[in-house]
Amino acid sequence: MSKVNNRIIQEANEQTTQQITRKYFFKECFSGIGAMALGSMIGGCDWLGSKDGMGSYINSNPLMAQAPHFVGKAKSVIYLHMAGAPSQLELFDFKPDLLKLDGQDCPQSLLEGKKFAFIRGVPKMLGPQVAFQQRGQSGAWISDHLPHLSTVADEISFLKAVQTDQFNHGPAQLLMHTGSARLGRPSIGSWVTYGLGSENSNLPGFVVLTSGGNNPDAGKSVWGNGFLPSVYQGVQCRGQGDPVLFLKDPAGIDRDIRKASIDAINEANKLSYEEFKDPEIIARMAQYEMAFKMQISVPDVMNINDEPAYIHEMYGTQPGKACFANNVLLARKLVEKGVRFVQLFDWGWDSHGTDDANAIDIGFVNKCHSIDKPITALLLDLKQRGLLDETLVVWGGEFGRTPMQENRDGKTMPFKGRDHHTEAFTTWMAGGGIKQGTSFGETDEIGYSAISGKVTAHDMQATILNQLGFDHEKLTYNFQGRPFRLTDVNGRVIHEIVA
Amino acid sequence: MRFIKFSRTYWVVLILIILVAFTSKTFLASKEIDFNADIKPLLNKKCITCHGGVKRQSGFSLLFRNDALAKNKSGKVAIIPGDAENSEMIKRLYMKDPEERMPYKHPALSDNEIALLKKWINQGAQWGTHWAYLPVQETVVPNVGSGPLGLFGKPSWIKNDIDPFIFEKMKKEGLSPSLQADKATLLRRVSFDIIGMPAPENIAQKYLSNNKDNAFESLVDELLISKQYGEKWAGMWMDMARYSDTKGFERDGARNIWRYRDWLIDAFNSDKPYDVFLTEQLAGDLLPNPTDAQFIATAFHRNTLTNDEGGTDNEEFRTAAVIDRVNTTWSTLMGTTFACVQCHSHPYDPFRHEEYYKFMALFNNTRDEDTYAEYPVLKEFHGIDSTKYEKLKTWLNLYAPEREKEITQFIKTGQPAINSLVADELTDAALADTKWLVLRNKGKARFKQVDLTNKSEMYYRFVSWKSGGILQIHSDSVKGKIIKTIQVDNSKGSWKINKTDIPSVTGAHHLYFTYKNAQITNKEESGVEFDWLYFTNPFPGKEKPLYDSAYAHFVSLLTPSTFIETPIMMDNPIEMHRPTFVFERGNWLVKGKTVVPDVPASLGGLPAGAPRNRLGLAMWLTDKKNPLTSRTIINRIWEQLFGQGIAETLEDFGTQGIAPTHEALLNYLSWDLMNENKWSLKKTIKEIVMSATYQQASHFNKDAETKDPYNKLYARGPRVRLSAEQIRDQALSVSGILSNTMYGPSVMPYQPEGIWKSPYDDAVWKLSEEGNQHRRALYTYWKRSAPYPFMLNFDAASREVCTIRRIRTNTPLQALNTLNDSVYLEAAQHFAQKIKNIIQTNPSKQISKAYELAFHKPITEEKRKVFEKLYTTAYNKYTSDPIQCKVITGSKNADPNKAALIMVASAIMNTDEFLTKN
Repeated sequence: MSKVNNRIIQEANEQTTQQITRKYFFKECFSGIGAMALGSMIGGCDWLGSKDGMGSYINSNPLMAQAPHFVGKAKSVIYLHMAGAPSQLELFDFKPDLLKLDGQDCPQSLLEGKKFAFIRGVPKMLGPQVAFQQRGQSGAWISDHLPHLSTVADEISFLKAVQTDQFNHGPAQLLMHTGSARLGRPSIGSWVTYGLGSENSNLPGFVVLTSGGNNPDAGKSVWGNGFLPSVYQGVQCRGQGDPVLFLKDPAGIDRDIRKASIDAINEANKLSYEEFKDPEIIARMAQYEMAFKMQISVPDVMNINDEPAYIHEMYGTQPGKACFANNVLLARKLVEKGVRFVQLFDWGWDSHGTDDANAIDIGFVNKCHSIDKPITALLLDLKQRGLLDETLVVWGGEFGRTPMQENRDGKTMPFKGRDHHTEAFTTWMAGGGIKQGTSFGETDEIGYSAISGKVTAHDMQATILNQLGFDHEKLTYNFQGRPFRLTDVNGRVIHEIVA
Repeated sequence: MRFIKFSRTYWVVLILIILVAFTSKTFLASKEIDFNADIKPLLNKKCITCHGGVKRQSGFSLLFRNDALAKNKSGKVAIIPGDAENSEMIKRLYMKDPEERMPYKHPALSDNEIALLKKWINQGAQWGTHWAYLPVQETVVPNVGSGPLGLFGKPSWIKNDIDPFIFEKMKKEGLSPSLQADKATLLRRVSFDIIGMPAPENIAQKYLSNNKDNAFESLVDELLISKQYGEKWAGMWMDMARYSDTKGFERDGARNIWRYRDWLIDAFNSDKPYDVFLTEQLAGDLLPNPTDAQFIATAFHRNTLTNDEGGTDNEEFRTAAVIDRVNTTWSTLMGTTFACVQCHSHPYDPFRHEEYYKFMALFNNTRDEDTYAEYPVLKEFHGIDSTKYEKLKTWLNLYAPEREKEITQFIKTGQPAINSLVADELTDAALADTKWLVLRNKGKARFKQVDLTNKSEMYYRFVSWKSGGILQIHSDSVKGKIIKTIQVDNSKGSWKINKTDIPSVTGAHHLYFTYKNAQITNKEESGVEFDWLYFTNPFPGKEKPLYDSAYAHFVSLLTPSTFIETPIMMDNPIEMHRPTFVFERGNWLVKGKTVVPDVPASLGGLPAGAPRNRLGLAMWLTDKKNPLTSRTIINRIWEQLFGQGIAETLEDFGTQGIAPTHEALLNYLSWDLMNENKWSLKKTIKEIVMSATYQQASHFNKDAETKDPYNKLYARGPRVRLSAEQIRDQALSVSGILSNTMYGPSVMPYQPEGIWKSPYDDAVWKLSEEGNQHRRALYTYWKRSAPYPFMLNFDAASREVCTIRRIRTNTPLQALNTLNDSVYLEAAQHFAQKIKNIIQTNPSKQISKAYELAFHKPITEEKRKVFEKLYTTAYNKYTSDPIQCKVITGSKNADPNKAALIMVASAIMNTDEFLTKN
């Protein structure tokens, strides 16, 4: 390990020590508090030597920046989850042989002993509904649905043989994000914030943005804190209404009044502290001050109007609306401001073919178009800002789609669609110390089974943690009498795609 | 606790003599090794990861004594009692070869640790029982008197038998108790603790003006009998019961289960003895002639999730619900983490893998099958239906008593019916949305092993869209004997219940349903869809008086119009019994051997005469011999009052949990609960709040800060942030807008737009009116996938699974919530008006009054100045800006005094003092 790296770890460890000695810190910081003006108190008790001007309360904060197990390549993560599970067969996993089988009965060998969510009896095979081409130096196969992304193929590492054991959306999304198909575990963003804290004391460490009109199927538990303290839960920032719930002062209260009221609250709290000497009071004062700061910093970071026109053009944003493109641009702004984990959920990828909106050749195409430009812009924009190296971008769904056309309840569907499929699907990662322009894992000639390079949700999680500097087996939390971890008893870092 | 039975001083003297007589080394040699204190922690830390319940490297496990003493794979014996030198385990600790030396790939044990293990083996390698698994014994209150042998006066601080336990330990650590808190502080503290909100004004004033010695006790008694008591403790229990108004998972649709919440309120208010309270929740349906209330109590375990997502395997989610019932029973009622035993033997505690499934078998025969309608549900009839039901019941009792139970049960619960989703062997048929059996033209389906003995009628709930359908029922095979042909009505798309006679057949047979309809030409069109089938006999008493009207009541009650439905527990009749299997590595698809229902051996068997079902389980759980039940509830009550349990890990009393700070006190209170207090929780709560320990002032002093920052020794009173529920209830109560309406369907207070966005569910949050938006927090509609944001912000969990303990946090989102949420602004507005109604103009007096209303004590000069400063700033601002003034006060006239008071009220309601139980 280089000297520089050693130093970083050492510094971070010192910070952690300060946090541990929080009790001591309060004592030091607040002796003789009565003489101090409120402003200077909130401004920070940084004479103890905290280098970045963080106030004392930040050190008392469980979200204080902390050292990982080793120096990670990525400082932050943007996770783009296509809720509903997009078809790998129309995006990245090109299967010319499947085209030849189009319309034929599915061979029994593929159906025996298998269980599908909706397919019953013998379905027909469904060929790829779009043309594919090889892109860039790496020659990655990307379909014509993603013309923009095709231009940045060389930035991406594809995982072509991802597998899951859950074929319903809710459980599969939970598995992807919490490591367990059942409810109750912390989400990956919560684990990361628990492990790393936040770099920006004015913003939450873990932000969630949703689009597509619905929350993901598994509900808010996919960004929940599970058994970790609630301070690590994802904070949902919203494109419409208050960006963070209750952020805005009520009508009739302006900033001066709000300032005066928080001053009064904290002065009264200071008197309570003198009376009770309970350090929790100091922590509360800090939280009120941070709330006041967030009222400025969050709308500021959530406001995309000030971005230059070419950025809007690049991302294809729709200012004033809640849409995926806006969220992707926001994700870039958030990581730029030091947010550790930005989780995007875009709902509407469940292409069963029960109506036109979820037909694989209609609604699905529109969904592809809605993400193509923004995701491409994100990679390019991060790169031009020098942030791609330290920002891990992850893209994927919760499972894949069948090479067979769905025949719900054994019936022919009004539109073309594919059922849920657990045995092989594609996800990808880029930036944050991931190899550029590579592909790992292979499926059979019709994209039904993974034949090599199989990976699971736990492997992806282990890899994401690895890029951030964590040994996934060591990032644990004691709950119900045993140490729990994100990857449960599984997980392997996918070294094949790590640079 | 042998030490306690004798005077402590006596022992100190004795030990001193021993210490003088021997060197410390020889002392160790003579000391009896305590497995729990000395050995188990060492094994847990160094050995058990590889040699425990999960991994059994080389076939060696240290979890149970008989396993550990057995020969392992190498043929050697790891532990030979009395012979440490020849015990393989000890030899391995000394070896030089890193492949041989234990702990494998970890640092060697220290000499002291090895010496300890050797002595333990030489002394016979006895396994001790972990404290929580020992029976609860009567515990003698420590004598904390002064003077030789403690014969002289007790410290005057002591108020009741709790205090000596606390005092003894505190003294040992060099701490002294704090003074009693002032009256106003005690009033506020005990009100939050007993009724979850500030005391009603009349009760508060009565106490404050009562100068008698027993004033506090009178207050406690009054709070314990007030209706709000039940609401507070029901709120606590709802976390454990994972109460929610929705089903969970993707669709997360509505569920009607609030009658269970109301049952809880009543149960707490009537101080239902805790053993009965548990029995009714676990097995109310199995009690003789269960009442509606006893059925509703069983909804405790119907708060599990139901998965309505299309394409889901109903058996998988039925199984998931049963597993959750097992885990919840253990973690909430016995403070034990049983969940890990699902996949393997408990890594640390004495529970074997198989025992999980034996325990699960106690729960595995309930009728619920992840159906959309959440069958079985209990119908409580109201109005005309209630009258009909009573008339029918009386008639049956008079003229057909032998059929009364079966018929009323069918009317009330629809059970035991066969849910159509269990059908299999489907051809031209399907489970619509994986919920209901649909037959198309020429469709076929099978119902397995239906027992038709002595049954001659079939009721069936169905929907159809076409006339001309013909349903045939074949027995034993799809081409088997046609036992019945039915012309299926066209129900025109609505659910309908029909009946048909069927020939009586002896024994259980597979029934094959085939359906034909010449009018259906499209192969994919649905013909008929079924919900359930119910086999019975004709309505009795045809020859009896008033038969016609009784039968008419019966028919009409099959589709009643005025009723409330609640999901309940009911067991399968014997012919529908499910076997229970061990799931290999916890995977429900990999079924191992069949098990019989039972409880873990290490905690004593089922009591004599206990049936092997949920009732037997309840008998075992509430038996005084069960070491966990009483300790768990005592620990929980203590946690509610002090902010932390006597054993901090409420969820884990096992060897990996945090040991209790006052084990003897926990035992003392547990014994008392079962024996002295006859399982009365009110008496227990009173006992605790009447202690000097509870009534101490909560100020930190120098000693506290250095020696006991987390107040584990209770040398000061509890000072913790209020719960989400308490914070809301307080704001509404202090501002005077709290509705005191109790019970009923959950309500929807103000919630920002856009919180609910569940796929495939178009339910909307609709602001409740007429005061219902100002009900206590426990009545707030709970949607699992998007809980009320305020509750989440203040540390509630989403209740998908039980919440054993809320971890308190302190975040800026909480500050934003109580500063800016309309609910709190509205409260501030009303609070301001309330003050103005008392004192019209004088701001200084208004501020003092506001503080007094909030805390029942006068404001200090310094604090008043703080709020006066805010008042002045706000007053000037709103005087110069009448438009904003009108906005903030919500009135047509600009009243800067009120506007400024609103800001003061909001500030007071955001102070730490207000948000904290001081």
